[in-house]
Amino acid sequence: MDYIDPHIHMVSRTTDDYETLARMGCVAMSEPAFWAGFDRGSVESFRDYFRQLTEFEPKRAAQYGIRHFTWLCINAKEAENVSLSREVIAMIPEFLSSKNVLGIGEIGLNKNTKNESTIFLEHLELAVQYDQQILIHTPHLEDKFQGTRMILDMLMGDSRINRSRVLVDHVEEHTIETVLENGFWAGMTLYPVTKCTPQRAADMIEKYGPERLMANSAGDWGPSKPTAIPDLIMELKRRGHSRELIRRVVYENPRQFFSQSKNFDPTILPG
Amino acid sequence: MSIDPNAVQRTAEKVLAEEFLSARSKILDLAAILDRLERAPGSIENAAQMQLLGQCLKILCDDEFDKARRVQLLMSRQYDPDWRKTYGLH
Repeated sequence: MDYIDPHIHMVSRTTDDYETLARMGCVAMSEPAFWAGFDRGSVESFRDYFRQLTEFEPKRAAQYGIRHFTWLCINAKEAENVSLSREVIAMIPEFLSSKNVLGIGEIGLNKNTKNESTIFLEHLELAVQYDQQILIHTPHLEDKFQGTRMILDMLMGDSRINRSRVLVDHVEEHTIETVLENGFWAGMTLYPVTKCTPQRAADMIEKYGPERLMANSAGDWGPSKPTAIPDLIMELKRRGHSRELIRRVVYENPRQFFSQSKNFDPTILPG
Repeated sequence: MSIDPNAVQRTAEKVLAEEFLSARSKILDLAAILDRLERAPGSIENAAQMQLLGQCLKILCDDEFDKARRVQLLMSRQYDPDWRKTYGLH
């Protein structure tokens, strides 16, 4: 089955992974800017990273017939450095016209601090100013509930934000309902130990239905599984769900969401 | 929010038959972790993490539904609606 992974960090993965993903049905992916595992020292490090996301990764993906899209920002962890964050935010517009950029992301919170919140609000300002879609990272483990509520508070406190153009990622059982009820898109991350299993994701699809709901692998440099979406497809098939329902979650929903970006032409993907 | 009307409804008997071995395995893993803690030198009776695990186990055994969500909330920091005021953000 063709599918789209709307959140995967391919800069951390090998070219062999691209080949495996293509063999398993991945036809497109989007890669939000994130933390490299260490704090970068200057805005020039981010400029090089954004060149990697907008120039190099699309070519690497194309070798295997995969369309590669991206989102730009300074991540929540490095947002603790407010002065560096402001330099990066000021530089981002240089890349917004690159043809694979879908919007601003993954912005969000990590430890739910004042500095992270300040930079999140400044990213929202950037997105509004340049009419960009937004992809959001919600915190891990014990910080997720509090951080998700703070993020929704900031989003809903700004009447200029179009909720149908915002994807709130890494939702779990205690955060999914408020995200969907308030009109945002929700992403379930299939990630060992700290996030969600394919089985629990299937439970949430059964409970809330497929509307504005998608799944991703968030494959990165840590323990993660880039082929997690095929695992979810298998779990839904095992439970007897229809091909139409599965395709909606893993293909049509991300395509519909991406289509709101001026850099995404849905006709480039299989129908 | 309502349950998706198009969702496949497996019977409870079918879910139990399909999930029993998985549940058995996970309960054994948890039991073995508790045994490991018991065998290890040192004292953890008053550790906050042990108290939290104990509260989670009570949720698993009670008669209420929505167990995954309730365990998640138990393991979460609380949300303060006045957080912006605390941070001086407007």
